[in-house]
Amino acid sequence: MKIQSYRLVRFLNNFFLYLILTFFALVMIFPFLYMLTTSFKTPADTFRYPPRMMPRNAVTTTVAGYDEPLPLYYVDVDGQQKQYALAKSNIKVGTYAPASDLTSTVERYLTEVKPTGGATNQQKVEVNGKQEKLFDVTVDGQVIPMILISQTTVGEFVDPQAPETKVYRNVRLSEPVESLGGHPENYTEVIELNNMARALTNTALVTILVVLGQLLTSVVGGYAFARLKFPGRDTVFVFYLGTVMIPFVMLIVPLYQLMVLIGWTDRLAALIIPWIFSAYGTFLMRQHFITFPKEIEEAALIDGASRLQILRQILIPASVPALATQATFTFLYAWNSFFWPLVIINVGNEKNHVLTLALNVLRGRASDTPNLILAGAAIAIVPPLIVFIFGQRFFVESVASSGVKG
Amino acid sequence: MSEHPKADILTPLILRIAVAWRGLFAVLAAAVAITAWVGGLPEAPTWQKVLLSLFLSIAALLSAFSAQQLAVRNHRGRIISLALDYLAFVASTVMVLNVGEVFIGIDALGETFGRGLPYLGIVIVGYFLSSLDEYSNRKRTSEQSLKQVGRWVMIFGFILFLWQVDTVSGVLYFLGKLAQPAGLVSVAGMVIFGAALWGMGRQPTAVALRAKTSHEQILNGWLFLSPNLLGFLIFFAGPLLLSFYFSFTDSDAFNTPNWIGFANYAKILNIRFATLTSPTQLARDVVDIKIYDEVGRLVIGNWGILFAAADKFFWLALRNTLTFALFAVPLSVLPALVLSNVLNSKLTGMKFFRAVYFMPSIAAVVGISLVWQWLYNATIGYINYFITLGIEFWNNLFNLAVVDPKIQWVSDEKTALFAVILIAAWQTMGFNTVLFLAGLQNIPGELYEAATVDGAGAWDKFWGITLPMLAPTTFYVVTTTTIQAMQVFEQVFILMNPPEGPNNSTITMVLYLYRSGFQNFKQGYASAIAWVLFIVIFGLTLIQFQRQRQSSIYES
Repeated sequence: MKIQSYRLVRFLNNFFLYLILTFFALVMIFPFLYMLTTSFKTPADTFRYPPRMMPRNAVTTTVAGYDEPLPLYYVDVDGQQKQYALAKSNIKVGTYAPASDLTSTVERYLTEVKPTGGATNQQKVEVNGKQEKLFDVTVDGQVIPMILISQTTVGEFVDPQAPETKVYRNVRLSEPVESLGGHPENYTEVIELNNMARALTNTALVTILVVLGQLLTSVVGGYAFARLKFPGRDTVFVFYLGTVMIPFVMLIVPLYQLMVLIGWTDRLAALIIPWIFSAYGTFLMRQHFITFPKEIEEAALIDGASRLQILRQILIPASVPALATQATFTFLYAWNSFFWPLVIINVGNEKNHVLTLALNVLRGRASDTPNLILAGAAIAIVPPLIVFIFGQRFFVESVASSGVKG
Repeated sequence: MSEHPKADILTPLILRIAVAWRGLFAVLAAAVAITAWVGGLPEAPTWQKVLLSLFLSIAALLSAFSAQQLAVRNHRGRIISLALDYLAFVASTVMVLNVGEVFIGIDALGETFGRGLPYLGIVIVGYFLSSLDEYSNRKRTSEQSLKQVGRWVMIFGFILFLWQVDTVSGVLYFLGKLAQPAGLVSVAGMVIFGAALWGMGRQPTAVALRAKTSHEQILNGWLFLSPNLLGFLIFFAGPLLLSFYFSFTDSDAFNTPNWIGFANYAKILNIRFATLTSPTQLARDVVDIKIYDEVGRLVIGNWGILFAAADKFFWLALRNTLTFALFAVPLSVLPALVLSNVLNSKLTGMKFFRAVYFMPSIAAVVGISLVWQWLYNATIGYINYFITLGIEFWNNLFNLAVVDPKIQWVSDEKTALFAVILIAAWQTMGFNTVLFLAGLQNIPGELYEAATVDGAGAWDKFWGITLPMLAPTTFYVVTTTTIQAMQVFEQVFILMNPPEGPNNSTITMVLYLYRSGFQNFKQGYASAIAWVLFIVIFGLTLIQFQRQRQSSIYES
């Protein structure tokens, strides 16, 4: 009895914890899902209210007597819901009634009704103190002058099995028949619209070079700090440490002027060369190398190995996880960076745009097609996510252990 | 051993040449330094001339000193000589690359790189093949062959890649560019300095100058550090000093900057407070509106204070940035604290949740802001839709008639900044959760066991053990999140149109810096803003540091 109640408490406790976890997980994941599903929608679908998660296609069907496939709609026919095809839309229909009895209305196409007395000399009648125009409406073969009470636009719906059966309903109020289905062509469209292919290769190029360059300088620099004794080392190291906290915005103006001076404005080089030297990366590598046992190295030195050989053949192969972690961080930083490219690459110079800049341009260019904007956002967001999913385990582990702020 | 006599002939010769070379180097460097200062570079700004002649004079002096040291066969001469030649060699290499338009040519590579990208995939496949042998338990022979195959695949893939990105025409272009005077001079420099490095670096020369192992470590140390250090000096420390200099000038990025003293800072800090006699009194009645603009007013009853500043946008930006940090930091830290404690309870699936929470922090802020822009859409966005659903549910449940607010998230000045805060909090929360989780896992379990024995409840343990033990992590998380929050820019820039938001409600410090420096090109002023921002950030960090130290003193 007692054990059972303990189990119940524990179950409730866990249930409550999972509830919290799941709620936050949904909050975290929802914008990503929204981005992905919206990027496969048609523009009309994105503007629907209430919003729906999954992308949908309008179902069409071929009807005898019509060249193009027609979209299907749910239509109420004699109290039954049926799927009819929309054959013609924008048909104007007027509701007419005789001036003597405004409640007995009839509906006619505007084109079928002629003004009473001709278009130039249309007769009028006074209804409720207002002058109303009269129209000749044919009811059961008789022409009766009536006034126009209201006017709407309807569509002509036909039964796909029996095309001669037609009904007229308001198109906007009818619900289209839809099936789940995406539009991957949004992606090709956004790539063509906005030079995204070039931006993607530029981003890949910049990211690869920054990652490789930064690894190289950080590894040799970190090794020097960790293992070699030379005068001035500790002073320089303290200097490095002191600058880790300095925000990047401090540098943006003078770095820009430096780029103007050496002629790298509007150049990809400006996005690469300054970023392959990282005080922080060097610091992390030093922290890693310092944990490495000294004895192995000393043995190799006695065997006549040079420092470079030791680094290449002993230390680097043993530091793959640390290197991979730093590479991932640098990858994310280079891939996602926006402020510096915005400053250094001109908006008009689209052949040197990176993805974030292309997105900034796309935002203005496709402001009425969210599906395209979010397809562009997905192109920028999904590659890092893939890298993350593959390297997730030790990546998150290493954040946890080293406390790196991305 | 047999080569020793030969080396003995060569080494004295090299040393004699080296002494002469150092003398020549000193004279040349001094000559160039003097020409640069006298008028060899008429267009260059003063700071560049000063820097150039300073460097060259130091080099000339060191080179002369080194010549003397080498003459008396002191090893110090070798170290200085190697350092000078190394720097000159790096400089001429950079010149070669620059004249050959390698840096600029990266743009052209951008054009062809897309074609080569798939072949880099082959290289990666080859790498995995060759590294497989470390994990396989098969016989030695097959491992070897796997490694070989992997190598060949890598080489093959890389050659295909080079072919696809048009390396041949690139190299030809490079060589063509080099065949002009500047290129040839640079190549000659590379050759001369390279030869000097070889002569001094070779083992017999070192032996002749009685080099010790500690000397080799000095040389290796500076050599290994040099790529990083040079880059750090050129692209970080140098610009940082320049930024400080620019903040005292009227620099506009293109013309020669003029020294204007503290004028930039004076303009930023030029503020006035004035008492209002009625809440609706106009600013022009109490301050000189030719100089000051109203930033805000504090009204209590019939009495009020008007706050006016010469640069109203700066103070608005400061206000918005501080407001942003004030909300975004707790919103991303407190939920993270709760979540990390939940995750720490060792339930199954913890790693999955941890990964999910981490996802937002690795996505590009630009992309994320675009996604949220549509989530925030007042008519079709999901956020208003959820609010509507919630209100309907509430109304049905309690038979009320609460009106749906239909918030205009980004176009209403009351909610615009809050919209940005939500995005930032959403994005940093997961990262903070992981940091807290790491801190939690470092708390020894015995503490909790002891507390359980003493009869402490879960709540007591949280207040009594978890929070105090987590204090260093909390300090780190709060500090880094604050520093990040103070630099908020990208979310605002993408989400708002215009970025300042309705009625300047989302203008932030960095946004204002960007606008001053890169839209109005008042770069001296922008530098001053940057330094004020730095002082604010530094002050906030210092306050947190003090509080952290006080609380830890209190505990012990």
